[in-house]
Amino acid sequence: MELKKTPLFECCEKSGGRFVDFHGWYLPVQFEGIIVEHLHVRSHAGIFDCSHMGEFLIHGRDKISYFSFLTCGDFMPLPVGKCRYTAILNKDGSVLDDCVGMKLDEETLFVVTNAGPLEEVSSLLCPSDVQAEDITQQIVKIDVQGPRSLDVLLQAGFDSQIAGLKYWTGGRFEWRGEKIIITRAGYTGELGYELYLPVSIGADIWVKLVSHAEVKPCGLGARDTLRTEMGYPLNGQDILPGTTPLMASMDRFIDWEHDFIGKDLLLQQKNRSDYRVLTGIKTHTRQAPRHNQKIVFQDSEVGEVTSGTYGPSVGVGVGLAMLDKKVAIPGTFLQIAGRPLQVEVCNVPIYQNGTTRKKVL
Amino acid sequence: MYPEDVRYTENHEWIGEEDGLYIVGISEYAQEQLGDVTYVELPEIGRHVRQKEPVAQVESVKAAEDIYAPVTGVIVEVNEALEGEPELINLDPYGKGWCFKMDDIDTAQYRRLMNREAYEKYLKSL
Repeated sequence: MELKKTPLFECCEKSGGRFVDFHGWYLPVQFEGIIVEHLHVRSHAGIFDCSHMGEFLIHGRDKISYFSFLTCGDFMPLPVGKCRYTAILNKDGSVLDDCVGMKLDEETLFVVTNAGPLEEVSSLLCPSDVQAEDITQQIVKIDVQGPRSLDVLLQAGFDSQIAGLKYWTGGRFEWRGEKIIITRAGYTGELGYELYLPVSIGADIWVKLVSHAEVKPCGLGARDTLRTEMGYPLNGQDILPGTTPLMASMDRFIDWEHDFIGKDLLLQQKNRSDYRVLTGIKTHTRQAPRHNQKIVFQDSEVGEVTSGTYGPSVGVGVGLAMLDKKVAIPGTFLQIAGRPLQVEVCNVPIYQNGTTRKKVL
Repeated sequence: MYPEDVRYTENHEWIGEEDGLYIVGISEYAQEQLGDVTYVELPEIGRHVRQKEPVAQVESVKAAEDIYAPVTGVIVEVNEALEGEPELINLDPYGKGWCFKMDDIDTAQYRRLMNREAYEKYLKSL
C-alpha cells in the first residue's frame, strides 16, 4: 500500500526531514537530530506536523450526548472552550482510541483522534447515531510546543487573544480572514499550542513558523522522547487492543456518574483489581528499557515494557510498562528479562520541570 | 584510522589493524542510521568470541542494535571513553568512537571481509 503524505510533506522535506512509515503515513522521524530537537522544545520552541491525526465535528446536544455514551468521559457538563481527554470505548470497555474533545460552542464538539485507528473510529462515529462530521482531510494540524511558543505565535501574527488561553482550553480564531481552531494543549509537557488550519493556509504557516529564529522543525522521534518523559501513553503502543481505561491508568478520566458503553465490565474490573496497569519506569543509567522487553520480579514475569527510550532531559532511560498491580508501586526495582538492566517503578511525569501549566499572563 | 584502511561486515562493523591489534567500530552508515547514540554496552575483556557472535550493544534514542564480532578472536581492550561520551560514535566513528580491540584473530576471515570499495557497493544495494 502506498504511504499517505500530509499537505505539509513538501514543507517537511524542504526542512530536511528524514521520513518513516507511521501507521500508513510517510512522516518525518527527525530533522536535525532527535536529541537536539527534544532539548530545543524544552528550552525554546519546536513545530510538529500532526496532520495525520483525525478531526471530527459533532453537531447538536443529542449527538454529543450519544458520543459521551461511547466514551468514558462525559462531554455534556463540559464548559465551552475547555478540553477533555478521554477514550472511545469498544463494547467490552476496552479502548478503541484515546482522544481530546472540546466544545466550540454549546452545540458543537470538536474531537481530535489518533492516526492508527482512524478508519475504525470514523466508521463508528460517522454513519451512527453520533453522525459525526469527519473533517480530517480538510485540516492541517501543526503543534507548536515549548516555553517560547506563545511569543513565537504572537510574533508570527496570530491573534493576541491566544495569550488568554489557559492550559487545556481553546477556541475559534482567525488568520487573515480564515477560520482556524487553536487549543493550548500538546504532547510534550511544555507550554504549547495546537493549530488546526484549513489545508489552503497550512504550508504558509509552517514556512512562517519554521523561519522564526527560535523555532526548529521536529519529528516523530522527539515527539516520542518528549511524551515518554512525561508518561503520556501512545495508542497502538502503550494502549493495545483489550487495554481498558483502568489498565491505561486513565482512572481520573472516567466519569462514573454517566452511562457509557462497557461501564459494567469496567466496574467489575475495578473491583477485581487483578489487572495490569500502565506505569512509569526509569533506569539509573543511560541504558534504556525497550518496547516489548519482559519484566521480572523475584523470578516471575510481572509485565512488559510498552515504551522505552533514553530521556534526554532526565539523562536516564525512561519508559512505560504494563505491570501487575502488585508491583506497580513507585520505588519498586524490577529486572528486565535476559538483560543486565534494572528499572525502577516511578511516578509520572518522569520529567518534572515542564512548562505546560505555566501562567503566561 | 581511515575508512580506506579498514574492512567491513554486512552488519556495518569495521575492523582495522593497528600496532598488531585489530580495532572494531561501527561504520559511518551505521551511526547515521542509528542517530544519536545514548549508551554502549561493551564486551568483557578476555572474552573469546566467534565471528558473527553478538558481543556489544549500541543504543540510540530510536533503537538498540547488537554489534557482532567481525572475526573470531579475543577481546583485549574496550573504549571506556564511550561510557561517558557515547556520542563519540556519531562524531568520530572511525576514530574516537571505536568500540573494542581484538587479538589472536582469524586472519583468513579478516581477509575475506569487504574492502571499502566492496562495502560502498554493498551499501548501494541496500
